[in-house]
Amino acid sequence: MPITRRGALLTAAASLTVASLAVTRRARAAETIRIGVVSPLTGPAAQVGAIQLNSCRLAAEEINAAGGVLGKPVELVVEDDQTTNPGVVLAFSRLAADPSMVGFIGSIRSTQVNAMAPDVAKVGKPMMFGGTDPTLTHSGYRWLFRCRPNDSFSGRVIADFGVNTLGKKSWAVVHSTDAFGTGGKNAVTDALTKLGATIALEQGYANQQADFTPVVLAIKQSGAEAMCSYFTFEPDLAVFARQLRQLGVRIPWVGSQSIASPVTMGLAKNALYGTYGVADFLTDANPEAIAFTAAYRQQHKENPDSGWTYDALHILARAINAAGTTEPEKIRTAILAIKGYKGAEGTYNFDENGDGLHGYDVEQNTNGKSVFMKRIEFPA
Amino acid sequence: MQLLFTGFGIGAIYALVALGFVLLIRAAAVVNFGQGEFAMLGAYLMVIGFNVLALPYWLSIILSVLLMAAFGVVFAATTYWPLRHRGGLPVIISTIGASIFLENLVLVLYGPEAAQIDGLFDAPGIQVGPVFMDSQYLSIIVVAALLVALQYAVFEKTLLGKKLQATSQDKEMASLLGIPVATMILITFAYSSALGGIAGILVAPILFVSTGMAGLIALKAFAANIIGGYGSIPGAILGGLSLGIVETLGAAYISVPYKDAFAFLMLLIFLLVRPQGLFGERIAEKA
Repeated sequence: MPITRRGALLTAAASLTVASLAVTRRARAAETIRIGVVSPLTGPAAQVGAIQLNSCRLAAEEINAAGGVLGKPVELVVEDDQTTNPGVVLAFSRLAADPSMVGFIGSIRSTQVNAMAPDVAKVGKPMMFGGTDPTLTHSGYRWLFRCRPNDSFSGRVIADFGVNTLGKKSWAVVHSTDAFGTGGKNAVTDALTKLGATIALEQGYANQQADFTPVVLAIKQSGAEAMCSYFTFEPDLAVFARQLRQLGVRIPWVGSQSIASPVTMGLAKNALYGTYGVADFLTDANPEAIAFTAAYRQQHKENPDSGWTYDALHILARAINAAGTTEPEKIRTAILAIKGYKGAEGTYNFDENGDGLHGYDVEQNTNGKSVFMKRIEFPA
Repeated sequence: MQLLFTGFGIGAIYALVALGFVLLIRAAAVVNFGQGEFAMLGAYLMVIGFNVLALPYWLSIILSVLLMAAFGVVFAATTYWPLRHRGGLPVIISTIGASIFLENLVLVLYGPEAAQIDGLFDAPGIQVGPVFMDSQYLSIIVVAALLVALQYAVFEKTLLGKKLQATSQDKEMASLLGIPVATMILITFAYSSALGGIAGILVAPILFVSTGMAGLIALKAFAANIIGGYGSIPGAILGGLSLGIVETLGAAYISVPYKDAFAFLMLLIFLLVRPQGLFGERIAEKA
């Protein structure tokens, strides 16, 4: 192709534009601390995603008002994960392609964190996440840091609360037969047995049942003094709760997280009054949660259902400030050094695996409201 | 006793949905896998009427059922009509497609959160000796019985019913006799859709309203259909009731996690031992 004057001019103009773009990009990158956020903006978790993103933005505003990170404002770069695994991998790769990213806020869904984990390892920058599958921080991934308690603690908290606080020695365990329910059942029966309690009944059920009468009758016949449950789907739990009350079972009941979800409480209404549940976040569990909830309410006129993205960004900012640099390895060391940081989800003491929290709140359903009872912590 | 009562109640739900299946099988030779979604749509219309627009309970029911009947006609026009000369399989696949479409449409329009509807009666139920009778289960049993009686009266005692029967027995003959076959089929779709809607409204207070609420029920109603005798109305009712009781007893005395398996095990046994079902004698004639 012969080089015409026109062509040469065009080429020159184009390369100038590219160069100037690159300059502005570098300049902008130097002016802010860029944090990549993957969040479900579309798909079934979009509603939860909106709350997570709002909480994260609230944290960014607070950090920037307090002087930012390394003297620069934090800038959030958000990509939609579509609530799917391919979606999250794509969203992360878009963010990770930008070399100016300092760290990432990941997903609340364990399966999505699992999908991203190999790519996060390749990029070699810290990702704060909220999925609760215990194995995520125990598979040799150095760059994953969890800002919620993992599932291995919920069984221990249920057992501790049931035996030491409620003083019940004979238990019925009701659980979904899926992976979550079976895992929970194993953890809680283990913990109960260690505390000297007996298991009067282990009763599994398949998800999405229309009728729980046989389960309720089995509980009645077992003679258990108390019961705990791992339900995966909220409507199942609500159907079960109502039939339980109709057939006159009133023993104390400590449930896994789903028992305290607003959806379950809305469906089951008074059938769940008086029950206990474990929760990683309660709006009134500690001063930090109360302050966060108030600030969130002021912006969005509703209560947040989780505080982990809010905590995650604060922890990341704090670690970068402590490291004094954006160098990933130094940030990692600084995150792992965080002990006693009081966040909305509880007090963070990072262990060598990257788990920040080691306990749950216990709540009681008091006439349709979740009321904080006590926090049960285990040593890191 | 408690188990028998809930089994009977659940069975009545299966029977109600199975009835919708049977009508379409008989009138149009269509196995409609969208039958469960009819129930789901009926329940969502009820949620919109009663919970969102705050209309009176009875008005919401009437509106929902009427809208469902109209929807049945739309469903027939889009899912069945274009494929009616292509034999059974394309129509079945088309109804499966429509059911997936409907489920996701509601997901997009309404969102994934489950909703709740009040029952027909405020009282939770009555205690009869050792048995607690849930008022909603009682309503289901009563409404199912009424609908069966109504259906019997319409089919056996009215001209419209005779025309519908004639259409289902032999379309060509019926059209030769001057019966508007197309209209009859549309009426059946509308009725079957309304029936599904009623089933959805009745189970909603027990199961709550979500997009996946009717999937398993529809599958079991279909099984009830085969157990009772493919295309047989009394068969659908008895099949539904026996299925409800067998799975509830099986769950209580053998294993809860395998509850769904009992229903389908019963289906398998029937297919092996008595493929024509409890009331079926028409299989041979069809084959």
